[in-house]
Amino acid sequence: MSTTTQMMKGILDGCLLAIIKNKEVYGYELAEKLADYGFDNFSEGTIYPLLLRMQKESFVTSTLKKSTAGPKRKYYSLTEKGEEELRDFLERWNYLQTSVNNVLNHETVTRRSGNDD
Amino acid sequence: MIKQKVELSEKSRKFLEDLHVYLFSSGKNEKEMKEIVEELEDHFVEAEKNGKSIEHIIGQSPKNYMDEISAEMPVDYKAWFKYIPLIITGAFSFIIISDLFKGTLTYSLLEIVGFIVIVGIFLEGTSISFRYVSANDLNRKKEFSILFILGMLPMILFLALILLNSTIETPIVHFGITGTVIIAIIAFIFLTAFSIWTRSWVLIIFIALLSLPNFFLSFTALTESARLMTGTLITFAGIAIYLLIISRTDKSKRIKLP
Repeated sequence: MSTTTQMMKGILDGCLLAIIKNKEVYGYELAEKLADYGFDNFSEGTIYPLLLRMQKESFVTSTLKKSTAGPKRKYYSLTEKGEEELRDFLERWNYLQTSVNNVLNHETVTRRSGNDD
Repeated sequence: MIKQKVELSEKSRKFLEDLHVYLFSSGKNEKEMKEIVEELEDHFVEAEKNGKSIEHIIGQSPKNYMDEISAEMPVDYKAWFKYIPLIITGAFSFIIISDLFKGTLTYSLLEIVGFIVIVGIFLEGTSISFRYVSANDLNRKKEFSILFILGMLPMILFLALILLNSTIETPIVHFGITGTVIIAIIAFIFLTAFSIWTRSWVLIIFIALLSLPNFFLSFTALTESARLMTGTLITFAGIAIYLLIISRTDKSKRIKLP
């Protein structure tokens, strides 16, 4: 259980970086976007501990901006280090995706043909 | 800030307050605490506007969520190195001033070390119980008992120290008249500065309630044990009344958070 969430967090990290790179966003917006893309089975608040860590590691910076409705809002943007991290993530992700797909394609195919025999 | 300090459900409001207490008692940085609480408040307001429940945001366990946030925030040791001497000096003024009514100051080494240890234990105890109370959804009775035990803790420890002090011999430190006067002046300066800084009379009222009844009663014709009983009674009744007044006035301004 905890290992899957750990993996999930790593993936979410990458997705957050990608969204932030595209446009300066605030917390709620980020959560909405993730949900729109299909990540809707985890609690929205999960992003804040991740954002705190990414800030600590200086992948993102934040600025307070006045919003039209009410209090100041914290907007996140990507730093140079964050862009690097995003590139690394993409590499890791592509590698992982290719390997997993390879395994699944081959193994499920051979199994099926093996069962046919 | 002017108009939007609004429409947040009682549950979300309570969670944000609890989170603040939890982070504070975990020794986090004041500014960072305020930032994350405000950010979450903004999120809650938006989410509630769209009909989402608090569970949808923080998951099933508030405690787990608080832990996750807390884990990503560094402990603000710098601030605590400022606070802890302040608290220790405050605790010492407490003891010193009630003892001043009895004449010049003398303490055994064990007492001096014991005071510091008791303050340390009490601080750690406060931190643990506040984190526990804020992270777990307790009923009033349970919450009250935990805080009551916490309040009794220093008293029990002081009693233990008195007992220990009468059985174990350690070198005795005499401060003499000059020493006593200097310490008294430092204590008074500290208390005044502290009261001005916090804009609160709490420390002075507590000290007065602890030391004045016994002092004034010593002029009466009552027997020693009768004096002790009345004195203790006045002290506790006084503290109870003071806390009642405080909680009444606090409740009216409690709603606004950071």
